[in-house]
Amino acid sequence: MSQFLQPTILLLREGTDTSQGRAQIVSNINAVQAVADVVKSTLGPRGMDKMIQTGPKVTISNDGATILNLLEVVHPAARVLVDIAKSQDDEVGDGTTSTTLLAAELLKEAKPFIEEGIHPQIVIQGYRKALELALEKLEGFSINISRDSPQEKRDTLLKCAQTALNSKLLANTKQFFSELVVSAVEKLDPNILDRDLIGIKNVTGGSVNDSFLVDGVAFKKTFSYAGFEQQPKRFENPKICLLNLELELKSEKENAEIRIEKPEEYQQIVDAEWALIYEKLDIIVKAGAQIVLSKLPIGDLATQYFADRNIFCAGRVPQEDLLRVQKATGGQVQTTVNGLNPETFGTCGLFEEVQVGAERYNLFKNCPQSRTATIVLRGGAEQFIQEAERSLNDAIMIVRRCFKANKIVAGGGAIELELSRYLRHYARSVTGKTQYIVNSFAKALEVIPRTIAENAGLNSIEIMNKLRQRHAQGGEEGRWYGVDINGASGVCDTHSSFVWEPSLVKRNALCSATEAACAILSIDETVKNPKSDQDTKMKPRGQPGRPPMGMRR
Amino acid sequence: MSLAFDDYGRPYIILRDQGQKKRMKGLEAYKSNILAAKAVANTLQSSLGPKGMDKMLVSPDGDVSVTNDGATIVEKMEIQHPTAKLLVELSQSQDAEIGDGTTGVVVLAGKLLEQALTLLDKGIHPLKISDGFDRACDVAIKHLESIAEEIDIQANDHEALIQAACTALGSKVVSKRKRELGKIAVTAVLDVADLKRKDVNLDLIKIQTKTGGSVEDTRLISGILIDKDMSHPQMQKEVKDAKICLLTCPFEPPKPKTKHNINISSAEDYKKLYQQEQQYFVEMVKLVKDSGANIALCQWGFDDEANHLLLQNDLPAVRWVSGTDVELIAMATGARIIPRFQEITPEKLGKAGCIKEVQFGTSNERMLVIENCQCTKAVTILIRGGSQMIVDEAKRSIHDAICVIRNLIKDNRIVYGGGSAELACALQVLQYADEVSSVEQYAVRSFADALEGIPCCLADNCGLNPITSVAQAKSRQLTEKNPRIGIDCMELGTSDMKEQKIYETLSSKKQQIQLATQVVKMILKIDDVIAPDDY
Repeated sequence: MSQFLQPTILLLREGTDTSQGRAQIVSNINAVQAVADVVKSTLGPRGMDKMIQTGPKVTISNDGATILNLLEVVHPAARVLVDIAKSQDDEVGDGTTSTTLLAAELLKEAKPFIEEGIHPQIVIQGYRKALELALEKLEGFSINISRDSPQEKRDTLLKCAQTALNSKLLANTKQFFSELVVSAVEKLDPNILDRDLIGIKNVTGGSVNDSFLVDGVAFKKTFSYAGFEQQPKRFENPKICLLNLELELKSEKENAEIRIEKPEEYQQIVDAEWALIYEKLDIIVKAGAQIVLSKLPIGDLATQYFADRNIFCAGRVPQEDLLRVQKATGGQVQTTVNGLNPETFGTCGLFEEVQVGAERYNLFKNCPQSRTATIVLRGGAEQFIQEAERSLNDAIMIVRRCFKANKIVAGGGAIELELSRYLRHYARSVTGKTQYIVNSFAKALEVIPRTIAENAGLNSIEIMNKLRQRHAQGGEEGRWYGVDINGASGVCDTHSSFVWEPSLVKRNALCSATEAACAILSIDETVKNPKSDQDTKMKPRGQPGRPPMGMRR
Repeated sequence: MSLAFDDYGRPYIILRDQGQKKRMKGLEAYKSNILAAKAVANTLQSSLGPKGMDKMLVSPDGDVSVTNDGATIVEKMEIQHPTAKLLVELSQSQDAEIGDGTTGVVVLAGKLLEQALTLLDKGIHPLKISDGFDRACDVAIKHLESIAEEIDIQANDHEALIQAACTALGSKVVSKRKRELGKIAVTAVLDVADLKRKDVNLDLIKIQTKTGGSVEDTRLISGILIDKDMSHPQMQKEVKDAKICLLTCPFEPPKPKTKHNINISSAEDYKKLYQQEQQYFVEMVKLVKDSGANIALCQWGFDDEANHLLLQNDLPAVRWVSGTDVELIAMATGARIIPRFQEITPEKLGKAGCIKEVQFGTSNERMLVIENCQCTKAVTILIRGGSQMIVDEAKRSIHDAICVIRNLIKDNRIVYGGGSAELACALQVLQYADEVSSVEQYAVRSFADALEGIPCCLADNCGLNPITSVAQAKSRQLTEKNPRIGIDCMELGTSDMKEQKIYETLSSKKQQIQLATQVVKMILKIDDVIAPDDY
């Protein structure tokens, strides 16, 4: 029999996994669906959390990007989804779940077309066209917020922060935290808005309402040596000396060689070493510093020396904290004490060491040129605080975005529905296959309000019908109708109920979701190389039903 | 998780090690989480209250500890389940923030979850439940603040503080001696407290344990106890009016920090070197002696030579004093820590009324007691007891008591214990429930039921009939309009907790309710659990 078969041609290394053609696209779409399903229930103000255990570490999160990251997705097409969530996170910081959902929904809508034999490129073209139109409209729909007075501006920011916090664990205290976040961002230099300059410190214990904002810097008490407790712990308008210098009695050079002839000279060497460290300390004291912070260790000798002279010192201050102190106090970090100039010292209104929960914290408050802020987060459990930190991070990013771009759209699915309505309308004016595809794009957009309604335990079909009707009757009044999770009717004008999002977030979400969908649609073959030999021997990868490479099909 | 198949029947793998992961979704996830957390709460339930029982915990190394302290129990149970771990952290954060009420907070969380489970069975959305809990929590906290009473901590020789400490100690193994221990704790805290700033640095209270004797022998040393003895057995055992020289350099010839070798080429050089070394010792001792010090405490060791010289010069000395002890001694005696012999000056010496070596029982162990320090800012509580387990438990109990007193100094508002505060809150929440028009009403009502669970538990642990005693207390609270009626656990004949003098701090109760609600909300928000499959 065998002579009738063509000889097998081995093209690729054994074990290489290839699949191609339409089946490949469909298979990829399915994989993407599966991943999107995991994050689906986290969307919206009634979104739930996921608990993911990786090794001994447990994470509880509502943040799309965090969840996807922890899932350890290995499927190559599904990874694209993880990447867009991440890029959305980096770019705007919020809206990661909706981006993922939108991309998955676009693919789901594309699946029947692929199965019916429409060429993927036509679908892609249609989607791109629809995206273009949607973005144009988004621009047109977004509302410019008048922010002539600082009060109005602050109000806008508060509302955006609250919308971002809506779906998180902190939802019940969003008033409080939005104030916190906005105040923190306002502290920053409005031209740069460097996120790194807002520190978030977690202290377990207490209630979330005990969290507070320090208009300056706060960091945990560093490791201290004997004598630390004898130092004063409170200063008003202190002079702060920032160093990147080790203040310890130690050998100056590792491999130095000194020859001495007489035993008497021995004492001189010892004295010389002491003189070196004392000289350094003396310079600092003479310059009038009252607080000495160093990135490198400050040894016991220095600690006691400072304690004797009523100076506070802290060694091993983490890099980012020192940077923030520098920004807040206006000081400069010195790498040597030679020629120490009092002008390089920073200052602040009040320095204090206080007890926060079980930890002692150093607080630098009322900084004159404060361009930095620190939020001290409290909460019952480690995971709680970590999730709170992620949520605040989202809110901070949103507020940062809002700070510059003053265009907003209404959330709660309102903008998606309005865009969907517009695209449906437009589709009727197109001939050819594109009509179907633009229509599908419009349908895919509806996934956002639908999921929000579903997650809130509402009847999504009923809600969607109401919303579509409102938008169709629309004009100006119907435009901002979105899902209302609290009221009885299930729909409301989300613009007037202040569910606001920066239009930039939506713009970015639409772009990256469409890009991702198009990328996945255009893949028609995957070649996956087997893992290195050792790995395959250790764990034989059984993939039943897969014909070996090169067999006749 | 099982494999997924595409439309052509081919399996595909999405997650790494997909086959080895377990996923629970929706109702299954809620229920499994709640059951796990409840299991932890049930373990602690029997430890609540003055007649609560202890748990014996055996560590993997075979160390046995017996304790009644909630935070310690859950910590030593080594819980694996991720949701149950949340309760462990809950208890620990109560410990870190307040120091007391660690059992109560877990039991309350357990009761809340129990209620949530029945609500879930009714088909109420978990977030509606948590919204309801949240609103109920606010009401409870407000009510708690309104029934709280301010006490005068100074009055009647700090009687109120002692009573509060007694309440904290009441449930522990040392409850027989609660009055004495309570007094010790109060004195200790007041000694180190900064009443103006309302701040207490607990680092300044050192708790030292020593097996042997009985709990009655526990005493407060207004000074410091260090687990060291004189460096030479023939030195004086007691120094009156001590002038302390606190050194962080060894009684040795100084060494440069740079690596060094000594090459000796002739016998004369050797002798010279030896003489110089001798000279160093003589000088060192002289420097210390000249400054007027009559005792030297050193962070490092001595050469035998130095030790001998110190003895000859009649200068008692202690070696290898740990860094933290050095700091404490410095704070207490007003001494300055001296890094080298050349810098010894009379001003840098610390002063203490008496330093003496004490011996315990027949054992050979000795400790140094530094008493009547110049600026007493540090105190030590020396705990004695029959066995290591008792001593350890006593230490934990005293720590709880100290924390309670600290909280009272910070905020002198109290509520009454014995479940009365919870009952009062439950009644208030129940009243509020009827005003809620939406689904949350059920959750609010359940919150009240959960609050009642605490007095129920208390009564149960005391051997009373929980239902009748809670019902009685509840009706009396309503009819007499007296929020202080609780469960008469000690059977003293009165249910008014003010008469029984069962004080609890407002901050602790508030924190308990808030923390428990927070964690329950968090657990209710999880609808999906992805974890490695162990089975």
